[in-house]
Amino acid sequence: MSRRTQYLLFALWVILLASTPLWASNYVVRLAVTIAMFTALTLSWNFIGGFTGYPSFSTAAFFGLGCYAGALSERAGVPMLLAWGIATLVVGAFAAALGAIILRLKGHYFAIGSIGVVEVVRLVISSWGSLTGGGDGLNLPLLAGGPNVVARIFLAVMLAIMIVTFLITVVVDRSRLGFGLRCIQQNEDAANMAGVNVTLYKVIAFTLSALFCGTIGAAYASWTGYIDPSDSFSILMSIKVPVMCLLGGPGTILGPVIGTAAFTLLEEVFWANFLDYNRAILGVVIVILIFFLPGGLLGLSYRDAMARIGGMFGRTKAAA
Amino acid sequence: MISISSKLSGALLLAAGVAIGALPSPDALAQARDIKIGAPLALTGPLADEAKKQEVVWKMWLEKVNAAGGINVGGTKSKVQLVQYDYQSDGQRAAQLAEKLITDDKVDFLLSPFGSGHTKIVATIATRYETPVIACAASSESVFDQSSKFLYGTLSPNVGLFTPMIKHFREKLPSLKKVAVLGRDDVFPKATAQGISAAAKAAGLDVYYDQLYAVGTMDHSASLSAIKRGNPDWVYVTGYTQDLILARKQMQDLGVKAPIITMLAGPAYKEYIDGLGNLANGITSSSWWHQATSYKGVGVWPTTESFYSEFVAKEKSDPDYVHASCAAATVLLQDAIERAGSIDKKKVSEALAKTDISTFYGPIKFSPNGMNQPRDLPIIQVQDKAVKVLAPSDIKNGDMALIK
Amino acid sequence: MDYLQTLVNGIVLGTLYACLAVGFSLVWGVLNVINMLHGSLIIFGGYLTYFAWHSYGIHPLLALPAVSLLMFAIGYLTQLTMINRVVNQPVLTTLTLTFGLDLILYNFMTVYYTATPRRVTLDLGVVDLGGVVIPFDRLLGMALALILTGILYLMMKRSKIGRAIVAVRMDSAAAALMGIKVNSIYAITFGIGSLMAGATGAIFAMVYPVTTNLSGAYLGKAFVVCVVGGLGSVQGALVGGIVLGIIESFAGQFFGPQHALTVGFLLMLVLLVVRPTGLTGVKGYE
Repeated sequence: MSRRTQYLLFALWVILLASTPLWASNYVVRLAVTIAMFTALTLSWNFIGGFTGYPSFSTAAFFGLGCYAGALSERAGVPMLLAWGIATLVVGAFAAALGAIILRLKGHYFAIGSIGVVEVVRLVISSWGSLTGGGDGLNLPLLAGGPNVVARIFLAVMLAIMIVTFLITVVVDRSRLGFGLRCIQQNEDAANMAGVNVTLYKVIAFTLSALFCGTIGAAYASWTGYIDPSDSFSILMSIKVPVMCLLGGPGTILGPVIGTAAFTLLEEVFWANFLDYNRAILGVVIVILIFFLPGGLLGLSYRDAMARIGGMFGRTKAAA
Repeated sequence: MISISSKLSGALLLAAGVAIGALPSPDALAQARDIKIGAPLALTGPLADEAKKQEVVWKMWLEKVNAAGGINVGGTKSKVQLVQYDYQSDGQRAAQLAEKLITDDKVDFLLSPFGSGHTKIVATIATRYETPVIACAASSESVFDQSSKFLYGTLSPNVGLFTPMIKHFREKLPSLKKVAVLGRDDVFPKATAQGISAAAKAAGLDVYYDQLYAVGTMDHSASLSAIKRGNPDWVYVTGYTQDLILARKQMQDLGVKAPIITMLAGPAYKEYIDGLGNLANGITSSSWWHQATSYKGVGVWPTTESFYSEFVAKEKSDPDYVHASCAAATVLLQDAIERAGSIDKKKVSEALAKTDISTFYGPIKFSPNGMNQPRDLPIIQVQDKAVKVLAPSDIKNGDMALIK
Repeated sequence: MDYLQTLVNGIVLGTLYACLAVGFSLVWGVLNVINMLHGSLIIFGGYLTYFAWHSYGIHPLLALPAVSLLMFAIGYLTQLTMINRVVNQPVLTTLTLTFGLDLILYNFMTVYYTATPRRVTLDLGVVDLGGVVIPFDRLLGMALALILTGILYLMMKRSKIGRAIVAVRMDSAAAALMGIKVNSIYAITFGIGSLMAGATGAIFAMVYPVTTNLSGAYLGKAFVVCVVGGLGSVQGALVGGIVLGIIESFAGQFFGPQHALTVGFLLMLVLLVVRPTGLTGVKGYE
């Protein structure tokens, strides 16, 4: 798919999402906001997980930290937009510092470390009750305005963040940084020897993966009006985001966008129809994804897929 | 590709919008159509057990009301529909579904899910849409601090749990002095732990141990050993059923003894007593309601006894305060609709604010913040694996026994 | 004096942690797979034991071997049919796959058994050793944990299969060249991992309430124990478990129970960076 086509598809998708208040109920608008939100999270994750190949499960930590940084700022009287800015910076700084330490680990250890980060941050926020309200959660000043106004505002906000992350992805993809990250994914030692500043690039990728999670967290907190540690630091979110990226095609520009859209809509369908077993079905979707879509939807080669399915049933190879 | 389903739903909604626009005005319709009540429930996930309790009593009420022809709205009877969705114990989904119920399903009223946190989330949405929402399982003041004109809660504030208990226990154990408080770091258990601690200190008791344990704690030995060292007269533990079962067991194992042991909300739930067997004996607690009370009032269950016997016949087990409070929420809603004479959201909300009724669950009258007025809540104790009510005196059926 | 009680609490707790983690550690070390199913497998073993006791009156000690064997079979089959497909793929793939499988198991358990906490009420009393009190069921749990891990250790060291597993862990290509059927070893190892999880569940059913709500907590503990102790070996799990148990015990006493869990995870993070091979220095795959 040519670049032009990719950009065009993205633009069309944004327009479609942005237009939902004009022709759909607030429920669909909320869905659009959610899609925009998760697309931005997935695009962010793509930097460290897709381009660099480091399986980070820290998305929930960055998102949650953003929620709290934003909420605390707003409660201290800081205007909403500025609070979001503060949250972004706080989370970015946190990720940069954390990255310098944790990116020394590879593979499994990095994965476990990134999960550990989520737990530690959640526990710290939880126990620092005097500051964060601990298990009680925090109330945020509610945005004035009827539901329609609020819906549109947050749709605009999430779409804006989504567009920004997309643009950064495009820039990174074409830049030296992107090239370097891909080299690191292929073979870190060789990249190092070839002169790539491996540590710097990794930290940049990790910070990029966190930055807008912070903004989104803060915006989400303002939207919902209330946050607490369990919902803000949900491991499920940390797993869903990489899955969405895997579903679409990691390391590509459009992959995260497609993956998020497909996943979210699938979820809607399943959850609406299979009340009791929706988690199990999500699990089945993940299993099918892993077995049959190793490169995601974008990486799908129908010939290969047929061959794989054929291989499961017998030893015959599909006709080349 | 993916856009198709969005487009399709958009097209359908557009068509629906046009169709609805062509219908007669809402007021004229209100008398003839069904009343819709929305209920986001955590039917899967960690809160599933509590959600099922809500579902059970709401369905009970629904059957009774519709069997009688429906609710009397200004002279005409309208049947009731309950629209429920599973929000999987996830806060984001709770918000999403609350909005769906209001905008898509066009419910008139909402019943809030279990727990203070998710109640807050649902209430925020409901308030934006100016839809009355009734909370039957949220008792922390922090939930009701946004002065929403549309949120009403049937549970009385936590404070009714503490002061009467302290008073009662002091009467039974005049030498009561040393208190240990161990709470779970989670909205309701934390609020109650802090509440009892503050109330005890204000009453001049020595709260020598006052700590919270993290969600997910598998072992309380450290805290319990520390508590043991202080020779407590009264140990007060809060948490969810599994935490309390574990704590009680470990207290036994480590030899932590006290004449008074209170667990919130342990004994109020059958699962707690089942899980501990004889170890549950002697444990005290408070509850917002107990079947031994004998209230009379309005609604489909005129007496406590009538609710209790119908529940037992259906579910083959005793109802707990969650069942009662949530059943009361529906009784309250029906009464408010009847008083308002309409299902207009604003009118019903005003009627709710003016509520001053008696029900099988007890009196319901709201403070300005939307919570049911404070009252002395029943103090209960497990004796021989059965629950006895110790106070208030007009409903008691047993006397307190100190633990040897 | 008091410290002794705290220490003993920590050791007893620690052996339970070790038992919990050893299956997880083995799978991670040998198959290079982070098994997100582990927590739920423990709970599953717990439910089987509970219902055996509740509905048929079978004592957990008797149920233990049966549950273990059943879980072995389940693990073996799961690995053969599902995990084997991805066993050489990067961690993101394997972790996500086991997470997906976990969602399925978790959902079924929650629907079938409901999350209501169940307890096998044995009420065995306490053992008092000169002022230090140990609940009997925990002592029993500790003994069983030690026996199981001991058997496992001997098996790994002495038996042909055990040595094959170690060989595969060290270098799977070389092992294959030596005639070891690597896929079969993978399946057996995963089966053992599930067996240990199920056995842990049976033991835990005597000590803790059984509920799906605890699945995540158990899994989290397994992570920490593996990192602290070192991957892929029984010694690693034992050392890690006991150290964690003692640290949590003392942290709970000095910092308050609120922070006991945080200390554990912080320790894990610190060790990951400073000494990822854990205290026993056994390196896992990267």
